[in-house]
Amino acid sequence: MRIVLTVNGAVREVDVAPVARLLDVIRETLGLTGTKEGCGEGECGACTVLLDGTPVNSCLVAAAQCAGRSVVTVEGLGSAERLSALQEELVSHGGAQCGICTPGVLVSAAALLSRGGVPTDAEVREALAGNICRCTGYQKIVDGVRAAAVRNAAAARGAS
Amino acid sequence: MSLHALADHPFAAPRSLAEACALLAERAARGERTVLLAGGTDWIVEQHLAPAPAADAPLPLVADVSRLAELRGVAERGDAIRIGAGTTFLELRRDPLVTARLPLLAAAARDVGAIQIQARGTLAGNLATGSPAADGVAALGALDAVLELASVRGTRRVPIAAFYTGYRRNVLLPDELIAAVEVVPPAPGSPFAWRKVGTRQAQAISKVALAAVAELDRSEGPGARLTRLGLGMASVAPTVVFLPEVRALGLGRPLASIDDEALAAATLAGISPIDDVRSTASYRRHVAVALVRRFFESLRAPS
Repeated sequence: MRIVLTVNGAVREVDVAPVARLLDVIRETLGLTGTKEGCGEGECGACTVLLDGTPVNSCLVAAAQCAGRSVVTVEGLGSAERLSALQEELVSHGGAQCGICTPGVLVSAAALLSRGGVPTDAEVREALAGNICRCTGYQKIVDGVRAAAVRNAAAARGAS
Repeated sequence: MSLHALADHPFAAPRSLAEACALLAERAARGERTVLLAGGTDWIVEQHLAPAPAADAPLPLVADVSRLAELRGVAERGDAIRIGAGTTFLELRRDPLVTARLPLLAAAARDVGAIQIQARGTLAGNLATGSPAADGVAALGALDAVLELASVRGTRRVPIAAFYTGYRRNVLLPDELIAAVEVVPPAPGSPFAWRKVGTRQAQAISKVALAAVAELDRSEGPGARLTRLGLGMASVAPTVVFLPEVRALGLGRPLASIDDEALAAATLAGISPIDDVRSTASYRRHVAVALVRRFFESLRAPS
């Protein structure tokens, strides 16, 4: 079936099997390979994307369920030439190592930061509880996310 | 690994509850299988783990019910709160009526998987899959929820304690779906407990979980009695259990007269835990008894 959805802000029309996984549509049909497959069972969060602004495991979403909706992948957060504050802070705090969990971590953290303000450590940990990282021990990720929140809050104050 | 079969499934997207019921009725009459797909957090995982289907076996029709407005929303209805069965756990934990009047359900919703699973998983899915570890079922059981089952033949109401017939088996007929759950909220400020014991705070299936609510009449001072008691316990039997022996022991007599030994015996009478990948039967018995005892200790403590 043909579905129309918004991907990283652009309207896309794609031909999909209705019960294909959103993950496969993103990686194979749309060629956006930033989103990773980890467990394929909704446990690890590597495939996290935003569906209408909320983090979901794209390995557990049927393609047809995305018709008319908005999907944001890690490619929608920034680019190699122009990293977001969140991406920069995750790098500078050592919150990204092997990189498999990183796209999902960034997407979950971006959803948290989109609510504004500076979250507590506990709030960051809850928002990222569905993203498993085997390298960093998490503290560096938490530090990076909070540093990005501080920067965003300062930028918001400067803009207003 | 039968993920490739996922994409081969025939698909339908009924536009209303009536259309979904009609579709189920037609297919059930022909003996054809239909999978109602909401959040996919159980069914798609099961496809991942399932052996590849036989080449000649017809795949079930997947019917997307995730957008049916009739299955969404939380509203007061008389003394009760009616929750559309397609409501997600994320919606539940953020809903003002649920957080204010059903804090037990909000607490359980917050402990389902992590946010990605909460954003997709629904009450109906949790109920229909019927995992013995289902957090939502334990909470709805403690609240004595009534399930509203819909079909072309109309609606019937089934108390949650009468819904399960065995491991992942329930009384749903092939042409029925779970449309809503109805819960009478405890009096404001009533004590409740949600305790999920597992290896990790998030993304962990429980070793044992307890959901409990009570209403307490303290008018007799030290003779305080329970006027309402509901319990749901997960991961200790083939289905989530509702501990009728503990309810019978706890209701109607002075709290101070209920001793720990009787409480432990009543708890053990309601469970039949096994050794499995997550825990052992003996650890589960120990934790089950401790969780119920602690809930009663919290009730006896002066408020």
